[in-house]
Amino acid sequence: MAEYTLKLRRYDPHTGEAPYYEEFQVDLEPHRSVLEAILQVKAQQDGSVGIRCSCRAAICGSCGVRINGRAGLACHTHLDKAAKTGVNADGRTILVEPMGNMPVIKDLIVDMDAVHWKKIQRVTPWLLAKEPVPEREYVVPHENMVDVTQTMACIQCGACVSDCLSMEVDPLFVGPAASAKAYRFVGDPRDAEQFERLKDLAEDPHGIYDCTHCFNCIEACPKGVAPMSQIMRLRRVASGDHHIEDRNNGSRHEHAFVKNIRRNGLLHEADLVPDSYGGKFHPRAVPELIASLPIVINGLRRGKMTPKKALLHEHKAPKEVKRIFDVVEGRDQRYELNLYISGTEDDESEAQA
Amino acid sequence: MPAHDVLIIGAGLAGQRAALAAADAGASVAILSKVHPVRSHSVAAAGGINAALNPEDSWESHAYDTVKGSDYLGDQDAIEVMCREAPDEILWLEHAGVTFHRSPTGHLGTRAFGGASAARTYYVADITGQAILHVLYEQLMKHHETVDRYEEWFTTTLLQDESGRCVGCVARNIRDGRLEAFNAKSVILASGGAGQVFKPTTNALICTGDGIAQAYRIGAPLMDMEMIQYHPTTLAENGFLITEGARGEGAHLYNALGERFMEKYAPNKLELASRDVVSRAEQTEINEGRGFPDGTIALDITKVPRKRTLEALREIVNIGKDFAGVDITREPIHIKPGMHYIMGGVKTDVDGQTPIPGLYAAGEVACVSVHGGNRLGANSLLDTLIFGRRSGEHAAHRARGVAMPKAPASVLADAQGEIDAILTRPTGGRRISQIKEELGETMNQYVAVYRDAAGLETALEIVRRLKDEAPNAAIDDKGTIFNQDVLAAIELGYMLDCAEAIVVAAQERKESRGAQFRTDFPERNDAEWLHHITISLNGDGPEKGVAPVTMTRWEPQERTY
Amino acid sequence: MKVAYWPGCVSRGFTPELHGSMAAVAPLLDLELVELDRACCSGAGVIAEHNQELADTLNARTFALAQQVEGAELMMNICSTCQGAQGECQERLDANTEYRDHVNQTLAAEGLSYEKGLTNKNFLWLLVEEIGLENLKKKVKRPLTNLKVGPFYGCYIVRPTDRLGIDDEHPRDQYLHWVIDALGGTVIDYAGAYKCCGFPIITMNKQNSLKQAGTHLADATDADADCLVVPCPLCHLNLDLQQPLAAKAVDRDLAMPVLHLPQLVGLALGLEPKQLGMSKHVVKPTSVIDWSSAVVGAPAPAGRAGW
Repeated sequence: MAEYTLKLRRYDPHTGEAPYYEEFQVDLEPHRSVLEAILQVKAQQDGSVGIRCSCRAAICGSCGVRINGRAGLACHTHLDKAAKTGVNADGRTILVEPMGNMPVIKDLIVDMDAVHWKKIQRVTPWLLAKEPVPEREYVVPHENMVDVTQTMACIQCGACVSDCLSMEVDPLFVGPAASAKAYRFVGDPRDAEQFERLKDLAEDPHGIYDCTHCFNCIEACPKGVAPMSQIMRLRRVASGDHHIEDRNNGSRHEHAFVKNIRRNGLLHEADLVPDSYGGKFHPRAVPELIASLPIVINGLRRGKMTPKKALLHEHKAPKEVKRIFDVVEGRDQRYELNLYISGTEDDESEAQA
Repeated sequence: MPAHDVLIIGAGLAGQRAALAAADAGASVAILSKVHPVRSHSVAAAGGINAALNPEDSWESHAYDTVKGSDYLGDQDAIEVMCREAPDEILWLEHAGVTFHRSPTGHLGTRAFGGASAARTYYVADITGQAILHVLYEQLMKHHETVDRYEEWFTTTLLQDESGRCVGCVARNIRDGRLEAFNAKSVILASGGAGQVFKPTTNALICTGDGIAQAYRIGAPLMDMEMIQYHPTTLAENGFLITEGARGEGAHLYNALGERFMEKYAPNKLELASRDVVSRAEQTEINEGRGFPDGTIALDITKVPRKRTLEALREIVNIGKDFAGVDITREPIHIKPGMHYIMGGVKTDVDGQTPIPGLYAAGEVACVSVHGGNRLGANSLLDTLIFGRRSGEHAAHRARGVAMPKAPASVLADAQGEIDAILTRPTGGRRISQIKEELGETMNQYVAVYRDAAGLETALEIVRRLKDEAPNAAIDDKGTIFNQDVLAAIELGYMLDCAEAIVVAAQERKESRGAQFRTDFPERNDAEWLHHITISLNGDGPEKGVAPVTMTRWEPQERTY
Repeated sequence: MKVAYWPGCVSRGFTPELHGSMAAVAPLLDLELVELDRACCSGAGVIAEHNQELADTLNARTFALAQQVEGAELMMNICSTCQGAQGECQERLDANTEYRDHVNQTLAAEGLSYEKGLTNKNFLWLLVEEIGLENLKKKVKRPLTNLKVGPFYGCYIVRPTDRLGIDDEHPRDQYLHWVIDALGGTVIDYAGAYKCCGFPIITMNKQNSLKQAGTHLADATDADADCLVVPCPLCHLNLDLQQPLAAKAVDRDLAMPVLHLPQLVGLALGLEPKQLGMSKHVVKPTSVIDWSSAVVGAPAPAGRAGW
């Protein structure tokens, strides 16, 4: 057994007073979970501590909280690990707070309806079945069903939503959980509205191109759903397969970047911004270029960039690089390895198997 | 006051399926749940759902396996209904979007499961319950205009009118503490089992037997309460479940001497014998000193190809890693039998009706009985969906001929009075958690895999003592917003009622059948005991009764695997 | 120590001071940098978003080129985004022999082949794990005493933790703290240290991009930092080049200098701000310059004409 100090963020909605931190001492084996510690506090010291919990086995998704500033499931986090995490870790104190980006109801309980479920509902989260519905089952490739098992594994715990940095600056962002849910349907061959779903989310200024690519959701997710990877897959299918050119410049930016590297080998930054808007003289790009003028002037003044550097393409991609672009982009189908499905070989003997 | 044709209490698989069926049949529907619907314990069901969908299979074969699995205590008419309707239910689920595993040809694929003569378990990796539950909730979101959802509402009592009809319930909005009386023409209990009565258990903290106790308290008979399933593969320390799917994929059980001991107990089906047989085998090995020092047996999943494990047993890879520190693809994991499921429950017919007019039950809360003395793996998911659907349909049709009741306003005052009484209990006694812990440990010691008269008598004494003590356990939280303390006090009462019924029934059955094994009555005795035991509330104590077992085409035989 | 050196794109584009300061600092750390001049962009996550195999192949080529450098102990990068993007590709390549063989087939025409298991470390990791903090401390000529430095890790070098090898033995998500400390500086903790600078969405949602940068700069200002230090030139662009617009986006006056990691190290090792290219920053690192000239006993290079 070992002693831990649980520092819980309390909020009493009855008084409406400011939230405060309360410390509780617990004595449990180090491999026990933070949830067990909190339940011990509830059972033995203060039954008013509020936390949602049910299965204790990381499958119901109830106990999403922030431990030492990072979202995760309380039942899934070992005490000894939690006490060691973070810059100020002392091997004993564990800070537990409610999840972020959602209003707090009481203590560690947040209002998921207001944020998480609202966004889930926004992506039409039910199968829009292809007609005609067959008499028996739809015949669908085995790989597709394994593929969507990754997003089906989402237990709606809200950890990804809690830590989403885009949502922090833009509460209207559709968010990682809803995007993963959207992929669950986009990747399901039985769904009839793949294009409509993608167009909707690509054109929404708070949609899939609002993701700031920070990996917080991948880090937070206890089930390997990797929401950010699903957002990238949605972008890939939207832009690559359906050629949806969204008004957020998302698809254009992606293509501009790729074109830029194919041509120059190294990123030629001066082209990237205008090309993302459609090209240097495109009507869309002009206001953006004008707005960027102060930046450009700053850069020129400081010697960060020179007119020569900006206008001429000093670097050129070696022809071997161009060839790689041609070969890989010329394939009939994209080859996508998903480690969630294929797993990782650990040793040579497996590689030969 | 909300008023609906059909009120469903509990939003797991049975409840959600009932809601969709009732709405489909044109009824106005309300579904109430003390947790968000996707947190219901159905979400933890792992391995799969049975159906004789394969043209080379037959529902009769499935039914026979179920009857045999039940040790001939199951009602064969109900079993026939369940097995005959199973294939259509699987297709309904698939069309609704469940991401079932596929064979290489793209058709629905199966895996082997315990007690089955053919591979007929349809699955989604090892998250079948979650996959189905979430798809049902998707459908509820789609039908939000026809199904009113009351999420995080805790039911405190069922309401009856003067004639004894069930006419709704009183529930507390957990978020703000206010009470509401729900009027309904039909009420379907779908509130699940009572695993928290035992410690440890695979069941979630919310499985406190609410519906079983609520029905019992208004006079509905409970049936087969002695039949408690101990699942063969649970983690020793915390009782977590390792799905039967692992054995379905080819995992083996070994004792500490490295012997594959199932060869002795079930030479044909080995690890895939029915659960009570495997649990007893393991317990015997442990009791006779051939288990590991921590009282466990080894489950060796390394026998399954690693890629297959990652594809189809992903969840237990995670459980092994997170809760036992074991990589199941590289080394065996230690397990032992753990309390998992209650075959018994509120007695119903094949349409979910209890003897109380207007009150239905479906899912683990109910006892139709399709599982009799022992439930086959992957039959529970089926049970919840078939009888959830049937209850929903029947309740919807019944509603057409019934006037909307209106509960008197006094019911709210009564309910509030009970809650106030809890809030104002004086301190000085033991805490709720202490009483709950003693209950759980007692049940796990005396009412587990092997039972005897002396142990059961001890258990009953302790349960009764705890029942007297429980109303004195004071709580800390006096607030109205998200007061989990008050709920724990109410749940403790439910658990004690269930525990009492379980022990009394176990005492009454002086025989070993299915999950009940009495060392003082080790043989199955069809001549005297081929019937159900019912427990009904009489005065303030449990009264024992009997109910016949319906047999259609299968006579009881010796049960070997 | 000899390393195969991948400088990335932006250090040779819009943040030339990063490339220059790294070159100036390397000899002081006994680092021999063999630049991979035929290698191309890591994709920055954008090429992978477009086509995974393309990003994996381009990076496999870079890895193969690195593996060809005679006597190099490992590959080193000076950009978090490269570390993260290359790490993601490497994870796939190393995980699956069949896939790796498939990618190597495309490289075969150039006579290149990637062998599983390359070590690719960002300069920050190299400082701690290869050079060592004790060693680093010994080389400090001008300790950063009284310089309050806020670490800005950003995203690509700290998440996801398992892919980046962050564990108990390698708490890489604390290395910036340690380095600042080893160089004698004062670490300033503030809310934005591990958050996103916003660069990836600068063309897709400029407001949100700049709001993020502005918020973190403001938080560092409120925490009384003299400057930030970043291991990624893309972060540097959004935090420095865009700082005037970021300030508008959060309606604050901002004047927070942002240093590249080699610049901070160079200062402590005795180099002058101008040598380290700090004149190229958009936000004049006045507080740093003032500090560096106020330090008693600091070496005064010949011919220094003042700022």
